Amino acid sequence: MGFVYLAALLVSLFGMVMLDRRFRLFFWRDVPRAAVTLLVGVVFFLVWDVVGIDLGIFFRGETSFMTGVLVATELPLEEVFFLTLLCYLTMNLLAAARMAAAVVLDRRDASSTQAGRSVDGVAS
Amino acid sequence: MTYWAVNAVFLSIVAVLGVLALVTAGVRGRAARASSSPAERSRRRREQLLGAGLATGVLLVMTAVFDNVMIGIGLVGYDAARISGVFVGIAPLEDFAYAVAALVLLPSVWVLLGGPKTPRAPAAPAAGGSTTVEEARS
Repeated sequence: MGFVYLAALLVSLFGMVMLDRRFRLFFWRDVPRAAVTLLVGVVFFLVWDVVGIDLGIFFRGETSFMTGVLVATELPLEEVFFLTLLCYLTMNLLAAARMAAAVVLDRRDASSTQAGRSVDGVAS
Repeated sequence: MTYWAVNAVFLSIVAVLGVLALVTAGVRGRAARASSSPAERSRRRREQLLGAGLATGVLLVMTAVFDNVMIGIGLVGYDAARISGVFVGIAPLEDFAYAVAALVLLPSVWVLLGGPKTPRAPAAPAAGGSTTVEEARS
């Protein structure tokens, strides 16, 4: 049972890669740039985690869902994958939301142009 | 030191990077703005704001859901003396600082890593609208 959380994270990360590939969201826009961005993000959040753990703010829970492998004191291996997922998700989401915003605004502009035309039609 | 105090330190670093990225994007986009019409500029700004707002909303909701699940099944614990005691469900409000930081830090690093904007030939309009996104965000 110790692999449940890690497996869930890996499945989610696989989903991120598939969405990235399909919609060209992050790595499929620029591989080296995405790799460095992701690395900076993960390292930044790992430092944040380590500070929080050192100060005793949060700690690893006693659960059977994790492998028990630690990369640092109280820092489970799974956390590295969780932070990777958080960073990948954030960048995918920002790119996808931008695409969605473009579609929404296109529709709105198109419908307002149409509405404008029908008003003209009534007026003339 | 409380959880909020630690968050303040890291969020400050993120804020500095965010400002740097905004200034960088502003300087790089100057040429492009000069050659675009006010309508195009307004459209781009609305697209940026709507996209950022949408992504922020989705990530905060996902954080609320998954943080509650992760704490609920016992993946992580907190020292009650060092958190503010404000919760979203059973998730400390402080945890949302990670999501907020990600939303600013990552796109900022992405922008700062990009070279000076060179005029590119418009790519073939593949996969519905992705070219506009690519060009606008690169």
